[in-house]
Amino acid sequence: MRILIVEDDPHTATFIAKGLAEDGHTVDRADNGRDGLFLATTETYNAIILDRMLPVVDGLTVLRTLRGAGNSVPVLVLTALGDVDHRVEGLRAGADDYLVKPFAYAELSARIDSLLRRRQAPSAETTELRVGDLELNLLTREAKRAGRSIELQPREFRLLEYLMRQAERVVTRTMLLEAVWDYHFDPQTNVIDVHISRLRQKIDRHHPKPLLHTVRGAGYRLGVRE
Amino acid sequence: MARVIASACVNRLIALLSARSTSARLALAIAGLFLLAYLLLGAGLYYAVSQIFAQDLHEVIRLDSADLVEMYRESGHAGLATEISERTASPDDDNAVYELIGPGGKLLAGQFATLPADVRNGDGWTEFDERNADGVVRVVAKLQKLGDGSKLLTGRRSRNQQRFEVLVQRTSFYALLAAAGLGGLIGWITARWVAHRLESTYDITRRVGAGELALRIPEDDSDDSFDRLAKRINAMLDRIQELLDGVRHVTDHIAHDLRTPLTRLRNRLEEMRTEHVHAEQFTAELDAATAETDQLLATFSALLRLTRIEAQTAGANDPELAMQPLVLDAVELYAPIASEGGIVLDAQTVPCTLRGDADQLFQLVANLLDNALKYATRGTRVTLHLFDDGDAIYLIIGDHGAGIPAVDRERVFDRFVRLEEHRGSQGSGLGLSLVRAIAHRHGGSITLEDNSPGLRVRVRLPRAVVR
Repeated sequence: MRILIVEDDPHTATFIAKGLAEDGHTVDRADNGRDGLFLATTETYNAIILDRMLPVVDGLTVLRTLRGAGNSVPVLVLTALGDVDHRVEGLRAGADDYLVKPFAYAELSARIDSLLRRRQAPSAETTELRVGDLELNLLTREAKRAGRSIELQPREFRLLEYLMRQAERVVTRTMLLEAVWDYHFDPQTNVIDVHISRLRQKIDRHHPKPLLHTVRGAGYRLGVRE
Repeated sequence: MARVIASACVNRLIALLSARSTSARLALAIAGLFLLAYLLLGAGLYYAVSQIFAQDLHEVIRLDSADLVEMYRESGHAGLATEISERTASPDDDNAVYELIGPGGKLLAGQFATLPADVRNGDGWTEFDERNADGVVRVVAKLQKLGDGSKLLTGRRSRNQQRFEVLVQRTSFYALLAAAGLGGLIGWITARWVAHRLESTYDITRRVGAGELALRIPEDDSDDSFDRLAKRINAMLDRIQELLDGVRHVTDHIAHDLRTPLTRLRNRLEEMRTEHVHAEQFTAELDAATAETDQLLATFSALLRLTRIEAQTAGANDPELAMQPLVLDAVELYAPIASEGGIVLDAQTVPCTLRGDADQLFQLVANLLDNALKYATRGTRVTLHLFDDGDAIYLIIGDHGAGIPAVDRERVFDRFVRLEEHRGSQGSGLGLSLVRAIAHRHGGSITLEDNSPGLRVRVRLPRAVVR
């Protein structure tokens, strides 16, 4: 995948670029809004990582200009401004996701994966999700592993659905909170971990091959890969 | 000597006129108003007195004229001419003037050797200047037509009135000088007084600005503008000092609470570099270092979030929000933690509406539940009540844990304050600070009570006004 990073801090930009390259992406870089806008409009990218505070032309202006020109490339906005108002402003300007500095690379990587995937996914409604021998029927709201039915609470169902839609990809705790609980807040303790471990009990117990993995320092991954 | 003083005054005046300072303007304004008042009063008085003089003059002339006309009727043209000649030759009154004017404008009898044509041909009231040895005198006169085509002029020299006018002009000039001087003086004194009263305020604020934060402006309790200004500035200085103390306090705590993990992190990295550890141990050390950094980042985020919320003002523009589903979501989120700790989480809620930020209020409920579950004794019950007493919305969360001693109940809201016995446990010491900031930002309040045993947190939030 081809990704453009528009970020004026060279250290952050290098750090992100290195990580993305290791993840197998091709990376272009711009260190101000004008160059970023130029690259974004003249080249084709699968996603853009855009810092909000940029020299020459600021991030939101770049974003609005892109969207105004009918460019619908997925954009993740990076910012030091973490306020809800700022978030809303960023999303309104056309951002697909919003990440507050300082952030862990794992969080950024997971979110970029999610963005790229969202664009790739066929628009047709899927009624059934499948990861290995785990099946989730979205119509009957039934979950089965190796043909055996699993009892799920409504929230557990949403949690599993999200993890299965992001199969083989790392999802962070914050992403889970936003997607499954719909609140943007900062959990004081490992409250998500407890929910995950209960879900894990339900889907992985009595099965030799676990599907729900904990990724150290990042979050979780549901998949058949070890 | 007088010359020196005068020139000093002039210099001072020039300085005042060219100055843009408030006190100079004040002095000038007062002097100007003083002069204006004087001029209005003088002009009014002058006009009134002049009117009275003029009326008197006209009255005397009218009576005199009527007298002579009566004489004309009784003794005819010749008799009137004789009378006028007599009066002119030996006047009873220096100021009275008479003239009998023939049909062609010919002067028949009287004082005048000549008269302006418009006076001779005129009729009724007239005024003209008479030139004689004394100079020019204004004459006010009445022309009366007689039966035989001739005219009678009866008039008076308005010498008294002229004298009055000259007197008034002269007096006015001196009075004007006095008024200007007096006005200037009063203006100057007022400006001096104002400047003097502001002097101490000026001096104190300058010194506070230079760093002497404990200084306050003396208040005289007169409740005049200056006193109110002093009180307002003092209140402002109190608030600034409070904030500065807060910042200092927070800085101390940040220094302590962030230095400790940072030092630990540094030592860990140092160790990894100097000691030749195995690859496996190396990874474990790196993971620990990363976890430590994540914790630091989380603390920073919480700190920034707290600062931002504290800076927000309670907004009437916030959207209306149903509190019950939000609280139930939080309860559901924490239910697994409760059951893991063998704690019964008992929630009793009713529907209620308020204005606010859903994410922040969720954070509030989550933090309180988190605390309650963290400190509750195993096997006890944590209760949550959400109700609306018609006046406000209450959220009450109680646990049966160790509780907080009464002396510490205010202190735990401060940033980074953690009671000694909990220093070892997980947490940043910002949870309750955040809860209080969110409650305040929504116009609410929070109190800690004894749940005998345990802690009961009571959050009061204003309910949305139903339209």
